[in-house]
This record gives sequence, C-alpha cells and structure tokens, in this order.
Amino acid sequence: MGKITIVPIGPYHPLLEEPEFFKLYCDGEIVVDMEWETGYNHRGIEKICESKTFEQVFYVVERICGICSTSHPFAYANAVESIGGVQIPVRAKLIRSIIGELERIHSHLLWVGLAGHFLGYNTLFMWAWKYREPVLDMFEIITGNRNSYAMFTIGGVRRDIDETKAAQLLKVLDDVKTKTDLLVGAVMDDPVIHARLKGVGTLTAEDIHDFGAVGPTARASGVDIDVRRDDPYAAYDMVKWKVITAKEGDIFAKAEVRLLELYESISIIQQCLQLIKKEGAGDIKTKVKEIPPGIGIGRAEAPRGEVFHFVKSDGSNSPVRHKILAPSYNCITTFRRSCIGGTISDAAIATAAVDPCYCCTERMVQVYDYKSGKRIMNAADLIKLSQQKTDELRTKILAKGQ
Amino acid sequence: MNIEQYITDIQQRFPEIISTEVINTKRLMVYIPKSILPKITDHWFNKLQYRYIVVSAMDSKDGYELIYHYSDDETGWVMSLNVMLAHDNPEVESMTPIVYGIEWIEREIMDILGIKFLNHPKPERFLLAESWPDGDYPYRRKIRKGDR
Repeated sequence: MGKITIVPIGPYHPLLEEPEFFKLYCDGEIVVDMEWETGYNHRGIEKICESKTFEQVFYVVERICGICSTSHPFAYANAVESIGGVQIPVRAKLIRSIIGELERIHSHLLWVGLAGHFLGYNTLFMWAWKYREPVLDMFEIITGNRNSYAMFTIGGVRRDIDETKAAQLLKVLDDVKTKTDLLVGAVMDDPVIHARLKGVGTLTAEDIHDFGAVGPTARASGVDIDVRRDDPYAAYDMVKWKVITAKEGDIFAKAEVRLLELYESISIIQQCLQLIKKEGAGDIKTKVKEIPPGIGIGRAEAPRGEVFHFVKSDGSNSPVRHKILAPSYNCITTFRRSCIGGTISDAAIATAAVDPCYCCTERMVQVYDYKSGKRIMNAADLIKLSQQKTDELRTKILAKGQ
Repeated sequence: MNIEQYITDIQQRFPEIISTEVINTKRLMVYIPKSILPKITDHWFNKLQYRYIVVSAMDSKDGYELIYHYSDDETGWVMSLNVMLAHDNPEVESMTPIVYGIEWIEREIMDILGIKFLNHPKPERFLLAESWPDGDYPYRRKIRKGDR
C-alpha cells in the first residue's frame, strides 16, 4: 500500500439536521476507508420538543429540514394521533397526502439537478431547478410559504385546498409531467451518464439490511419497502400507485427510482384532487382536547426514506420524550460500502446518491496530505475531478460513435 | 400468523420475556431483561429479517429505558424491544456486532445518557464535542423515584 491521504468532506453540511464530516482515506485514487462524524451543529431538537406543547412541536420539527419540512410533521402527527386515537377527516387525509407528494416532487427534482451538477451536466442542473420553481410557487399558493408550510396540526390540516387552487395545481402537475419526460429522456438515454453511473457506488440488498437504509437508496437495491404502502397513513390506501424499485443498486438505479417516482407522485396528487372533488366540502380538522398518557410511534415516507418519530406522553401538554430519526442517518452510514473500493472522483457522486445536500460544502472540502499536512485540493477541485471524468468519458464515447 | 399467535410464539421461544403489549395499531412492545437482548436481536434481525430502524433511549423513573425499534415490512408492524437499565449501573451489551447500523445510535446514547455499551467497536463520542465535561449527560433527569 502506498501513501494514504485523508480527504475530509465537511464538516458543514447544511441540508441534513446536523452538519457532518466525512473522512476518506485514499491510496492514490482509490478510497480504502471512510469515517463519518457529526454533531458539529447539534440543535438539540429532541430536547427542545420536551419543553413545547404538542401543538408547538409541529413548528419545531418542521424546521429539522428545509426540504423535508412536511415529512417530519407528518410522522409526528401520525405518532401523536395514534396516542390519542384521533380519527382525522377524509379531506384532511387527502390534503396531507397532496402536500407530502408535492414535497417529494420538488425534492427529487432538486436531487436530479444536484446530481447533474456533480457530473458536470450544468444544463441538467439549471433545467431541473427551473422545473422545480412552479412546484414551490404552488406551495406558496396553497400554504402561504414556499418552504416550512405549517400545514399540519393535531387532528387535521390548517388550510383547505379550494377549487381554484386545485385547478391551478392540476395545471402545474401537467407541466411537471411534460418536463419529467424531458428529464427522464436526458438521463436515461445519455450514454455518458450510463458510463458514469452504472456499476458505481453499488449497494446490495444485504448492505441495505445491515445498515437499515431506507427510501430510494433501499428501493434501488431491490429492497421493496415503502411505508406508504406497508403501513398506510393519510390517504395512501385510498389511491392507486406502485412502489418503484430497481435491481442494480448502483447510482444509475437510484436516479432511475427517483425519476420514476415523480410520475407516481403526480398520479397520487391527481387522484387525491379527484377524491376531494368527489367528497365535496367538509371539515379539515377534528377537535382534539388532550393527548392521554401513552406511547406513539409515527412513520412517514419522506423523499429520502422513512421518517420515524417516537413520542411518549404522560398526560401533560408536552411530550416526555421525543425521539426523531431522519432517513439520512441510516443512509449515510452506507457510504462505508458504496465508496470504499471506488475512486475519489466517484466519491462525490456516491455520497450525493443517497441525497444529502452538497450545495454549500464546496468551500469546506479540502484534501490534505496525510503526512505533511499540506493542503492538496479543495471541494471545488473534487467536483472538478468528477466533472473531468465525465468529460473524458464523453470524449471517448463520442469518438467511438463516429 | 396474526399478532396473538405471534406473541404466543415469541413467548414460547424466549420464556424470559417479561411482558408484551400492543401499544397501538400495528405497534408491539416487548419488555425483556437485558440478558436475552442479543438472542432476541439475532432472531429478529437475522432470522426473521426485520429491518432495524433506531433505538430510542430515555431516562424514566425506574431506570434508563432503551427501546430498540424494528420494522416488519411484510406486515407493516413496528416491533420494539424495551430494556430497562438500573440508574446506578447503566450498562448493556452492544448490538453493533449483530446489527452494523446500530453503531452510531449507541454512541449517541452513550453521549446523551451515559449508558455503557459493552464490547462496542468504537466507543467514542458522537454528538458531543471532545471538550464536553466527563460525567455530564444532557438527557439525564434530576428527578428520581421517590422524589417529590
């Protein structure tokens, strides 16, 4: 073995609930070991929740993640409502599912864009983020906010979707569907993307089971799990949809799963809107007086995988203990399997494949020489390395084609 | 197998189980002594292929409560193992050798509650900074059983 170099990625990682730090040990170009650390900016949200009322906790957990800002209230609502045995109105169930799926659409579009950027496809990045804008605008129309929607409350939702908004939403969905076709075409038919992503960062079904990974990361490895189907909540058992899986477990499979999930989400929202129309006007909230003592476990399928909330109540107006599991925790640990043995130029996309956000880590990533401590390269260089590899592949493939 | 049959089955298989409780729709809590934790974890994770979710830990009146959550994705049930550890000597066997993904959460619980996980491969700090004082655990409560 030659000289081992440590490549630190992080520690600031803005999208997950805590910034984290990856240490890649490299022998030449090959990653031989990996460590991850977190807790650099721990906000103690679980502890904060213990000092808030059940109602206030919604607005705290909503701020765990800027992208999954509905998934956490969703799982929390499921947990608290299960303690109290609260039955929510059908209309509220449908609206909850609509918001959940809209979030999945904008989150997956964001990921496609970022993955494109890492590979040196900046046009794809611009496209995907442009197509994501109308979805965020739609959020503003429905909830008043482009982010942190504050839609959930115990016993239902806080705002209704009327017919005008429903019509607007349907129009946006049609538009997103056409644009998704474009994106799917751009990714699935590109030989360079195939060469770059196939067989890279592969995770087997056993790896997924060992780490408890969830969401598209698991489904891309042929693990057919989805809380929306396995343990239905809100309106997911009232509409027809299918769980998208792929067998390969590489990054291409993860991209494929996410892209195809966009269609399912669009279809779920369309069906929910139809059902809302059929149901007619009705309550969007049931009154809940108090939460009895007990334990509640709530789950929701976030864009990145299962969100898990454990709430213990002692009959007072705030939780005694609130344990939160965000999907990224169990997905990030899989880096030990997906990155080791690969090259550094693949590490950037392999770590991005489980969908942690990388947009602001650039200035924080630096490569140091293990022995001398001298800085060799920074994050921008790392991304450049990844983009260069794509360029080389593109030149090769184009030359072959001619 | 429905849940009643399942409960009978698991009680026969592990007679040491203290009690079982269906806490909500599709949520089962199994209260166990810490001695059978490795056996039952192995049974659930390796034999029945339950998916590991996370471990919730809290400081209760009677001791430190560790709740190991697993998901049976075929039926949608969340199966939880509840282990109570004494306040004066909180230690338990690490489950990392059986479930690799449990490594980080055991380190987190070590940080926040000061529970000792025996035979943990990397018993280092996870959330708290290296400079955090020893013996100060942020999630421990000051009120104990018998206090007024």
